[in-house]
Amino acid sequence: MANVVPVDAYSTGEWYPGYKPEYFDMPWIVDPAGPFRPGDENSFWFLDFHWSRGLTPLGSTLWSGDGYCWGTQHAAESLPLPPGRGVTARFAGTHLYGSALPETDPREIEARAGRIATNLPHFLTNYRSIWESGRDELENTWSYFRGIDFTQVRGDDLPTLLGQSRRYHKRAMEIHFGVMYPMLANFLGFYGACADMGINPNEIGKFLQGEDTKIMETDRKLYDLALAARAAGLEPVFEAHDGGQLRDALARHGGAASVWLTEFDAFLQIYGYRAEATCDVGVPSWIEDNTIPLDLVKTFLQRKDPHDFDRAAANAMAEREEAIENARAGLTREEQAVFDAGLASNQEANFPWWQDDHNYYIDLKVMLPLRWGCQELANRVKADHQDDMLYLFWPELRDVATGDKPYDANLRSLVDARRQYFDHWHHRRGEMPKVLGTIPEAVEDPILIEIFGLNPQSIRAVQNPDAAAQTTITGVAAAKGTARGIARILQSSDELHRLEPGSILVCESTSPNWTPAFGKIAGAVCDGGGMLSHAAIVGREYGVPTVTATGIATMSINDGDEVEVDGTSGTVTVLTRAADVAPSAVGSAPEVPA
Amino acid sequence: MTSAPVEPATGAAPERHSCEAIAWLDEVAPEQAVACGGAKMGRLAELLASGVQVPQGFAVTVDAYRRHCRESGLDGRIDEVLAGLGTGPTDAEVEQASAAIRELFTATPMSEHLAGRLTEAYEELCLRCVDVNVPVAVRSSATGEDAADASFAGIFDTYLGVSGIERVLESVRRCWGSLFTARALAYRLRRGISHHDMPIAVGVIELIHARASGVAFSVHPVTGKRDRIVVETSWGWGEAIVQGLVDPDHVEIGKADGRVLRYDVAHKKIVSAFDFAVGAVTEIEMPAKLADRRVLDDEQIGAIAAAVISIEEHYGHPVDVEWVIGRHRRAGDPVCIVQTRPVTTAESEPAVSTAPAYDPVALAQKYLFSGRPIPGR
Repeated sequence: MANVVPVDAYSTGEWYPGYKPEYFDMPWIVDPAGPFRPGDENSFWFLDFHWSRGLTPLGSTLWSGDGYCWGTQHAAESLPLPPGRGVTARFAGTHLYGSALPETDPREIEARAGRIATNLPHFLTNYRSIWESGRDELENTWSYFRGIDFTQVRGDDLPTLLGQSRRYHKRAMEIHFGVMYPMLANFLGFYGACADMGINPNEIGKFLQGEDTKIMETDRKLYDLALAARAAGLEPVFEAHDGGQLRDALARHGGAASVWLTEFDAFLQIYGYRAEATCDVGVPSWIEDNTIPLDLVKTFLQRKDPHDFDRAAANAMAEREEAIENARAGLTREEQAVFDAGLASNQEANFPWWQDDHNYYIDLKVMLPLRWGCQELANRVKADHQDDMLYLFWPELRDVATGDKPYDANLRSLVDARRQYFDHWHHRRGEMPKVLGTIPEAVEDPILIEIFGLNPQSIRAVQNPDAAAQTTITGVAAAKGTARGIARILQSSDELHRLEPGSILVCESTSPNWTPAFGKIAGAVCDGGGMLSHAAIVGREYGVPTVTATGIATMSINDGDEVEVDGTSGTVTVLTRAADVAPSAVGSAPEVPA
Repeated sequence: MTSAPVEPATGAAPERHSCEAIAWLDEVAPEQAVACGGAKMGRLAELLASGVQVPQGFAVTVDAYRRHCRESGLDGRIDEVLAGLGTGPTDAEVEQASAAIRELFTATPMSEHLAGRLTEAYEELCLRCVDVNVPVAVRSSATGEDAADASFAGIFDTYLGVSGIERVLESVRRCWGSLFTARALAYRLRRGISHHDMPIAVGVIELIHARASGVAFSVHPVTGKRDRIVVETSWGWGEAIVQGLVDPDHVEIGKADGRVLRYDVAHKKIVSAFDFAVGAVTEIEMPAKLADRRVLDDEQIGAIAAAVISIEEHYGHPVDVEWVIGRHRRAGDPVCIVQTRPVTTAESEPAVSTAPAYDPVALAQKYLFSGRPIPGR
């Protein structure tokens, strides 16, 4: 019998101060986004780990509307996915919950199955040109925005530019999900075939690992910068300052530090147009805020045994070849033919690789032009903060940009109130239910299982009222090996600087902006995330023992606990609670989170 | 350990009727073998004729059973017991009737003529095996359709390691009686089948001194995959495996190239071994040093696979077999097949497998859009 977690507390009709339902008036295909509404308890909702900070008014409406309710539903219609019609979104406060939209009409499902039978082979045959042309289209649009000096844009043109920025994001989501769904379908079909042929499912993820991505390339370049800083004798400067102060400190230091900063800026010009979040207009890029990349350099320097990227990559490749050879040895000749063809198809259209690589081109930067437009508008209307416009809804933003509505005291106080609302809910993140509505015993949607990690075990775990008292938790054995260390519970990648070399990262889930952390942590534990999640893929690439889909790691483990992560068996054990950990074990005084 | 006849049957046998009491595996006409020697023995004769290595032996025919029942008056006494059951007897009443009839079989001696024919045949078998009082397997060999054969699998008696004519005669009578076990009786009552319609033959075959034995399937018994052979094996005789008393080693072999795909060594706790004191094969604790040892080497696996493939080809449908590797088998020798049946349990794939190419659409349908979780997750 399905458990129902009520949504009443969130479907009160109250939302951000000054919210009107028409602020969600934007095209959608199957189901529109919005705050929770009565009746939503009939569906199954999961707290979406991508936006663990919460979302501002502009960020929440544009992502949920143009991303989930346009991008996924558009892709699910055009492939189509026979029994699935994409994802829809609801808000509990500032926090986004997702839900998969099922298609239940058997005739409709059959018709859609007929269409995917034509479209999927076509996609796979032309995968490279389809993805590359989509990527190039987006890169061209990106170049267009890079070529614009936002401070010089005529006032009349600013509303147009904002509209173009929003369309860029929306178009990116069409391309994103248009490529992701068929690749995932191909991968999971291969996955199912492998499992059916008796191949250990834990091995399947390895068959496609070891391909270099733009995200890993970024990490290597950053690591090179750390080595350059060490060579230039700048380690004391990094030791003495935090990310926020480092830029000024290095500038003051002059000499070699100035040279290093020049190199750093050159790095940022290529790799720095990335926000520490997925499609969130509310989060700055590395260029806008150097804190995170400088902190990463700092922690790379703290690592006593340097991370050997080449060796990790070579290991990942060797492990891949071994896994493939072992799997083939256990197959009949007929099965080998299926396996080899499936492997070749998936090596060509490599989903795990794409799942990391595409973030460089899409997720991490696609909201930046809109953010620049918002900041420029804030300057022009003399807003109190540069990010004030992010607390407007799209129709309000447009009116302010066109001058139809002055950015007056009313709007300013509304923005203040909304900022407080955001902060209020930001602090409540840890207590947000992981799931809401009608909770099934098992989720059948492969995306929810493989990417979000909503398997029967984790669904059971999140319903355990004693989650906080658990000292042994289980999940998906995502990346092999065992590690012990002090747990650091991170709400978002804003807190990456709290990780020390050897820390055990504990979080809801990681996304590509978390990747650099894997260069220094000893182990990773996530509430969500299946075999195809970011943490699982990166954990394997970096050789970091990783357990995902525990459901409750952030509830059961406390910051400072000494834990053991067994990424081979999928078990995490709290060895010593934070209160009982000897201070020496914690190492050099960790910063208290701000 | 020879299985080829020492001497071929003497020239043209005068007239061969199905009504002869004894039918030698190497003499009976293959097309009459099942009718005359029951399914189990009949198929062994068919295998022998097709060139498969089987043990030496003979069947006490269906006809011999019928004559025994008729001439000794057993028929009438059996009918009497059965008539007493009426319609819809209780389980206890069926049990009672079963015990009574089986007792009748034990108590009723064979006619001198039949006992003489059997003694003659057993002596001939001893001669062929170059042994005195050669130990034999006495196996019930029922008649009837394959489906019935399958339903009755393992229900009728088998005696392993029977030595000396007196014991052989007794074991044959017991096998006859096992046509009336409570389970068989209840089955026939439920289906309204007369025992006269499914008479029983009994096989008397040379006991191969087993180093290792097992079963083998020409199709995966669970998944129905026809691209592989599945072998389960343990030390000693196969009874412990057939009766499910031991967790056997599990081997899968690719049919196309004979490659061993997997070999799972089991912890084997029980072994069917020959107890010389009792004069029978019995189940005892496996010696510790053998329990975790891998039973088959690659050459032996290859010989088993070759036999299974040739039997499947002979019948043109998937089969399971029981096989034995004798103590004196050498590398290169065939393994000995002691039983074969058509596979009826597996939901087998079509015989001509439709090109098993990688089909992403079909796989997506099967695994993503079927509403079922992906296997292994």
